[in-house]
Order: sequence, then C-alpha cells, then structure tokens
Amino acid sequence: MPILKVDIKSKSFLVDRVNLVVLENINFQIEKGEFLCVIGPSGCGKTTLLNIIAGLDLSYEGYVLHQEQLIKGSDAHRLLIFQEMGLFPWLTVKENIEFGLKLKRMDKKEIENISSKYLEMVNLAKFKNSFIHELSGGMKQRVALARALAMNPDILLMDEPFSSLDAQARDILHSELQKIWAVTKKTIIFITHNVREAVCLGDRILVLSSAPGARVKATFSVNLPRPRQIESDGVIENVKLIKKVLDSEIEKYYGMQFNK
Amino acid sequence: MACNLINKKITKQLILYFILLALWQILVSLKIWPQYLLPSPAKVCATLAEGFKNHTFLIGIMISFKRLLIGFGISIFCGAALGVFLLKYKIIDEALSGLILGLQTLPSICWFPLAIIWFNLSEWAIIFVIIAGSLFSITMATSTAFKNVPPIYIKAGRNMGARGVTLLRKVIIPAAIPSLLIGLRQSWSFAWRSLMAGELLFNSLGLGYLLYMGRELNDMSMVLAVMLVIAAISITIDRWIFGELEAKIRLKYGL
Ligand SMILES: Nc1ncnc2c1ncn2[C@@H]1O[C@H](COP(=O)(O)OP(=O)(O)O)[C@@H](O)[C@H]1O
Ligand SMILES: [Mg+2]
Repeated sequence: MPILKVDIKSKSFLVDRVNLVVLENINFQIEKGEFLCVIGPSGCGKTTLLNIIAGLDLSYEGYVLHQEQLIKGSDAHRLLIFQEMGLFPWLTVKENIEFGLKLKRMDKKEIENISSKYLEMVNLAKFKNSFIHELSGGMKQRVALARALAMNPDILLMDEPFSSLDAQARDILHSELQKIWAVTKKTIIFITHNVREAVCLGDRILVLSSAPGARVKATFSVNLPRPRQIESDGVIENVKLIKKVLDSEIEKYYGMQFNK
Repeated sequence: MACNLINKKITKQLILYFILLALWQILVSLKIWPQYLLPSPAKVCATLAEGFKNHTFLIGIMISFKRLLIGFGISIFCGAALGVFLLKYKIIDEALSGLILGLQTLPSICWFPLAIIWFNLSEWAIIFVIIAGSLFSITMATSTAFKNVPPIYIKAGRNMGARGVTLLRKVIIPAAIPSLLIGLRQSWSFAWRSLMAGELLFNSLGLGYLLYMGRELNDMSMVLAVMLVIAAISITIDRWIFGELEAKIRLKYGL
C-alpha cells in the first residue's frame, strides 16, 4: 500500500483576477521508505505541489491521500525543509530542533534525548548552543534536517534544500542524507532542478513539464547501488540518458527504466 | 586590545570636549557679548551643581518622567492595538494609512491648541501632547513590523504544529522583535520631544518648564544648564538603553 497517493486534477492561483493554472493532472504514488526526486523548470509549480502535500494549501481540485486519509491540514507527519531554511534566528540550534517537540508538550527528558540524538546524527553536537547566523549554509541545512527528523515525520518534503550551497557542502550533504535515509528509513520527496542531484539521490525521478499547467512529463527509476556520488560514472551515465530523453521529446518514454 | 582601543576613543573624545570648553572660555574672555548673554563654562557648571544640590533638577526630572511614563505607556498600548487592528482589517488599513501617516508627521506643536481647548492648561494637556506625538508612530511601526515577518517562518511554524496564539507568541512576535524595537526607539524620541514642548506650555514644573523659567528670569546659565541635563537624558536613554538593546538583538538575530 503506497504511503502517499497524489491525484491533483488542477491547481490554480487567482492573479489579478485571472485564473492561472499551475498544476494539471498530477498523478503519482509513493511507497513507504521510497526516495522520490521531483525535477522541473523553475516556476513550474514544484513548491506549490509540496505545499499541497504538506497540507498548507488546500485549495485545489483532486485529492492527496496520506495512508488512505485525505490531507485536511498541515501537521508534523509531513515536514517541509526549505531552500531558504526557515530556521528561527532568535533560537539556538538546540532550541530550533526542540521547537516542535515543545509544542507537543513532551516530557523534558525525552525532548533532551531526542534533540541530542539528532544533533549527533547531523554532526552538530558541538554547535548546539550557537545561533543560526553563526553557522555555514551547509550546517544550517543540517539543523533543518535535524529539526524535521526530531518530529519523527512519516514523510520528509525537501524543497530544493541544497541549491544555495557550494558544491563541496552539497557533496557532503548528499552522502549524509543518504546515510540518514538508510538509518531512519524515512520516505522522502526531494525537489531539485538539478538532474544530477536527482539521479544521485532518488530511487525514482518524476519530471514535471513547464508552467502553466505543469504535468508529470516522465518518470524514471534509478537502480544504482548506494551510497552514490554525484561524479560517479553510473550517475553521469544515467544523467546523460535522462537528458537525452528529455531533450528528444519524451512522452513515449514515459515510465522508462534505467539499469546500470 | 579592544579595551585599549576603547580607551583611546574615550581619550580622544575627552580631548575634543576639552578643546570645545576652552574655545567657549576664550570666547567669554574676549567679552564680545555680556555675561548675561554668554555665561562662562564655570558659571554654567556652578548652576548645574546648585540645581542638583537644591533638588530642583531632580524634581523636574521626576515630574517629567511621570508624564512620560503615563503618556508613552498609553501610546504603546493604544498605538500597538491600533496597529494590530489595521493588520486585521486590510480595508480600514488602506483607507486610513494616509491619514495616520499625516498625523504621525504632524509636528507636536500643532496639537497644542487642541490640547488646551480640550484639557485647559492641565497635566492632561501635556500628556495628551505626548500621546498625540508618539501614538501614530507606534501604530505604523507595529503594523510594518508584523507585515514584514518573512512568510517562511510562519510556514515553518505552522508545519511543526503551531497555531493561533502559539504561532503568534512563538513565531510571529519573536520574528517581529528587531523591527518593533527600532519603531519603539523612534517613537520614544517623538514622545520625549513632545513632552519637552508640552512642558513649555505653562507653569507645569518639569524639565521643560525649568527652561521656560530660566528665560523668564533672564538667567542664561540656568537655560544652558537645563539644556545640558535634557541632552544628557536624551543620550542616555537613546544610546545606552535603546542602543545597547538593539545591538544585543542584532547580534543574536545575526542582522
Ligand atoms: N501564492 C501565490 N499566488 C499567486 N501565484 C503564485 C503563488 N504561489 C506561486 N504562484 C505562482 O505559481 C507558479 C509556480 O510557483 P512555484 O510552485 O513556487 O514554482 P517552483 O517552486 O517550481 O519554482 C509561479 O508562476 C508562481 O508565480
Ligand atoms: Mg520553488
């Protein structure tokens, strides 16, 4: 049974009294523990799609089911990680990670245990009392990851989380994220506009067409062994194949499989 | 090292002030103007000391601060409430924002006639002028501070389960604090200036009135001494209270 079923007939925004259709017939499912990457040109509606899955945006036609339940609002079962972080600058690293746990009115001891566990997991134990602005971009994203994981969500929704990082920090986070995914067995939806990143991380890649009226243009499976590195031959080969398919009109390759 | 630098800066400032004092003394010694127009620094110092010794200055400061506390307190409370009200009702905000901006930029002297007609020459006339001078500034600051809270913080807070009052207390208000503080500092300076102007209205005691009394008595050293006291208070509160607080917040928020 898939953990998430997405069937969005259409999603539009009212801009200057004109109905702007952003998403159209977005239809896919995701299995528990799967790492799904979504790629698409900027402005095609990727963030909008994640907002809908998170439950922050409910004004669309169609449905999104989380474990067969219609999503009726935002809750900590599906947590967002943003490109622009969304960490709170008035709180320390540790307080950021504990923010959601405190809202749940958990036991103090338990909160402490959880936050130190995830601080360890993202290698930031030494920085637990730092303020956010004292950290590098890569460290901030690790705090965001720890803050999300601490809430023990079913699904992590990552919205171009590494796109503002330098290549080196991004490489490190690619390997850390794969490790964390292997340990926590979370379901992840990872948005990027970088095909290489998608191939490096995803079990499956969903390609959206450009706006307006973005649809799922193609899906690819990536069966490379893990952990993967972004400059490995396997990744580069798959990227070439995908790009070729995307460039040379596509629809007929829908659902094509790639095996190393 | 840093301590050394600060010491150097202070020494420089002291020297500069000393030169200014010397120039003043030279000007007085040249006897271009009579003493009652330009008293010597020593005379002003003596007046200053006398004013503190016989408690007139202290009483003046206390009376002024009591008015300020009441007036600025009311301004903060009502101004912030009005600001939040405007945030909630966008239509009213659009209709009133021009008027509020206009009222905010109105010099406080313009409120005098109205204050006197409504409250006569009473304590409340002065307090009213303080309120009128600072309330709209608080309103504007509140509404812009909350408007400018980055939506991503609200999105993140909601996603982690914060709703309603919790969202307001744990996310929206902390996010707005740096900009609220800047608004508070500016409104304070409006309130303080309005108070000084208001106290010149009539025999009201308070610091502004001491200035007025100096003029009535043709006592220039008294006028200058009171001006020094007022300037010292302005600097202390603006620089050492608001300035320090702002620096702390900026450091914490990484601004
Ligand atoms: N709140 C909104 N109101 C109006 N238009 C919006 C809103 N949010 C997004 N859009 C529009 O929807 C389109 C898709 O936006 P977005 O989902 O952010 O794209 P992406 O994340 O793929 O870059 C864009 O054209 C954007 O202008
Ligand atoms: Mg986006």
